[in-house]
Amino acid sequence: MGEIAALAGFLGLSGAFAVVGLVLAGWMAWRIVEKAGLPGWAGLGAILLTLTAVGTVVPLVLLWVFAFMRWPRDEMVPAITGPSPAPAAPPKSLPDRRGWRLAGGGVSLAFDESSPSYRLTSGSAEQATDLVVPDPSVGKPHARLLTAGTRLGLEDLGSAGGTYIDGARLLPEHGPRDISAARSIRLGRVELVLSRA
Amino acid sequence: MGSWLLSWAIGLGSFVLFVIVIVHLLLSLLLIIPSWRILSRAGYSGALSLFHLVPVIGSFIVMAILAFGEWPSGEARHGEGGRR
Repeated sequence: MGEIAALAGFLGLSGAFAVVGLVLAGWMAWRIVEKAGLPGWAGLGAILLTLTAVGTVVPLVLLWVFAFMRWPRDEMVPAITGPSPAPAAPPKSLPDRRGWRLAGGGVSLAFDESSPSYRLTSGSAEQATDLVVPDPSVGKPHARLLTAGTRLGLEDLGSAGGTYIDGARLLPEHGPRDISAARSIRLGRVELVLSRA
Repeated sequence: MGSWLLSWAIGLGSFVLFVIVIVHLLLSLLLIIPSWRILSRAGYSGALSLFHLVPVIGSFIVMAILAFGEWPSGEARHGEGGRR
């Protein structure tokens, strides 16, 4: 028991609370970096660095690097703009030719896969593929809708008012997100319910 | 003499407390800024990073939210990025 206490003291762990905190922090860091698509041991390693002479400075630097680096999770997003990677449909199945509808806030927008992308904007419709949401909280342009077969994607274009998918914020660095199964999207203050037309 | 000493002690104590609070805020800011971004990228409100202002357990609260909550903006799939 004395040896354990000596070892703990040598590692700078002054008490049981520090040991529990370290184990807990290491476990949580492992889970967090895994969710971002990085190997879990990287998170655990960053926490264990606090035991070394470099103290908390290096883990703090690593926290900033983790926050601003590109996460493998973001690169795992299915390429909504490319050909669908889904397995081929049975030969006799009919393609789903229904379009999409976004409705809410006095706006009803209908579109289909005749165009691979649509711009959501509050400005005037400059192109045939511009979908206008006349609200001051909506950017010019605000976001991009991407169609690929039966799937629908959404990409934020750096709007100030923000883009949300079922309440979750979509940032520009997330790239296109598949919203085929989403219930609603929010552009600024405008909530639009998604349905098949 | 006694009241002068008491005033001096209260003044010094207030100053020390003020410095401690300022240092705590500055150190918390070093954690809040990256955590705000991480929480936003995970789909949570960045304001949750203000838990770092809670002494001792604040960082654990933020980490627990990220570690045990389901990220609204999606997580890396199982079997990729090290999860086996």
